[in-house]
Amino acid sequence: MAAAPESPLDAEGRRLGTWMALPTQILLVFIVVFPLLMQLYISMTDWSPLYGESWIDAWRSWNGFANYVDVMSDSRFWSALWRTLLVILVCVPAQFLLGLGLAILFVDEFRGKRLFYSILLIPMMVVPAVAGYMFFMLFQSGGPINDILSALTGTRVSTAWLSDPTLALIAVMIADIWQWTPLMFLILLAGLIGVPEDQLKAATLLGASWWQRFTTIMLPRIRTVIVIALVIRTVEIFKIFDNLYIMTGGGPGVATETISVYIYKVTLQNLEWSYVATIALIILVSLSVITAFGLKLMERR
Amino acid sequence: MTARLWPEIGRYVLIFAALAITLVPTLWMVSMAFKPISEWTASGEALTWWPKEPTLDNFRFIFGTSSSELLVALEKTAWRPILASLLSATFGTIIAMLCGTAAAYAVSRFRVGGNLPLSLIQLRIFPPMAVLIPVMIMWTFLDLTDTWWGLALIYGIVTLPFSFWLMKTFFDEMPREIEEAALVEGCSRLRVFLKITFPMMLAPFASSALFVFILNWSDYLIALLLTTKDWVTIPVYMASLSSSMTGQLYGAKAALGLIAALPPVILGIAIQRYLVRGLTFGALKQ
Repeated sequence: MAAAPESPLDAEGRRLGTWMALPTQILLVFIVVFPLLMQLYISMTDWSPLYGESWIDAWRSWNGFANYVDVMSDSRFWSALWRTLLVILVCVPAQFLLGLGLAILFVDEFRGKRLFYSILLIPMMVVPAVAGYMFFMLFQSGGPINDILSALTGTRVSTAWLSDPTLALIAVMIADIWQWTPLMFLILLAGLIGVPEDQLKAATLLGASWWQRFTTIMLPRIRTVIVIALVIRTVEIFKIFDNLYIMTGGGPGVATETISVYIYKVTLQNLEWSYVATIALIILVSLSVITAFGLKLMERR
Repeated sequence: MTARLWPEIGRYVLIFAALAITLVPTLWMVSMAFKPISEWTASGEALTWWPKEPTLDNFRFIFGTSSSELLVALEKTAWRPILASLLSATFGTIIAMLCGTAAAYAVSRFRVGGNLPLSLIQLRIFPPMAVLIPVMIMWTFLDLTDTWWGLALIYGIVTLPFSFWLMKTFFDEMPREIEEAALVEGCSRLRVFLKITFPMMLAPFASSALFVFILNWSDYLIALLLTTKDWVTIPVYMASLSSSMTGQLYGAKAALGLIAALPPVILGIAIQRYLVRGLTFGALKQ
């Protein structure tokens, strides 16, 4: 390549930069490239740590694409996948609307704003596993949620939330909404604060109602922020594990089994590592394709 | 004036409702942590929002100095899991911050590294569950399972995207004139970074480090898979707390949960202004 003549400083900078980026690149190869190749290899065999062979000898039980075919007809895999998507479809819009509502309340100055703001952010800083345990306690049949419901309805409510398949899933969603609405609130508020005030003032002078100002000035200005917030939560809920697993363990039965819980259970209970590697690889590849496509779309905008 | 008053009242009503919903779960755990065994699973009339007889027994129990007859000594006290969490989260943060900061500076100033920024975002998007089989095999092979340094290494890698993107945003924002002046004076590039750029970045660096620490401290899944006995972290240990006599150790778990929840909440409130950047990879500058 015919590069333009460089000044000595540029060459020095490039050399230093290469060295400084090196550790991160080594770690990436170590944790992304190498494991992916290993995963691909194991997924095409019928290997399990139970067999006593090292993973290198897994080729002895080579079975090509048999695992991939099995996954396609694995109803537990599909139901875990749909369940994960259902949680996303309920929780992301709920968190978005609640977060947006709160952000709107917090745009102007008012007494106590800083204190209230700090308190509202607490849920997202609680360790997710601990949050899972909090909601485990709250949703016991003799627990405080039923106590509140009893007080509100005037009758004694003693629902065993976590033993009922439908209610357990709802409880898991409530816990996630509780923990992550603050993140939506935080991101959307950051976006709303960035909306130039003179534009809003001008609109007010022209007689625009609050709703008109909101839909014509605020919403278009924070469109990117909204997209980022929705993408982050969708990606994160797809990975949901810690809080959910502590709360229900995926149960009762498989009622709250999401994709991560399913992978975890097959890994540790059945020890069918080749099979799990296949599922994990399918998910990784689909997610990579989706994100690469999504990033392309965002670049073009 | 009355036209302005009602919206204000409405705002406070809604905010107080949100505050109540925010605080109830947390307060329930705080209350549970100070309740004696007899109140752990009380229901109906006996269920109270505050402990009737507040006690420190739950904390004494998890640290192995319980005087209660119902709570016999545990196999292991909470000291070791707390140490495991502290060591792995701290050293994981050091790994992520050292590698991430260096790479961020390299990419921000010298445009090296190719598609490093994007690969790091992808690393964050992947569910950790989906790469853990090879990681478990590798960790077993390298003898890193059930050690705090093995956990620290994987935590460092998992949080690298955050340290990289946070520091890159800060480096991008820093004016270059100061660095250029030093270069004209005859400083080497490395000296400029060590003596001028980095000292100026200390505050954002510290906030990023706290942020990464919170993320490492919060992990449950990785520790659950990569530790078994000696170096289980607080959340893993908490989940295992139960006894054949009383079943779920509600109060003890709540006490430990409280200990686990405090550092991130305090640190998180201290670094609020960097939170948005951290969580959005600086895609959104506050």
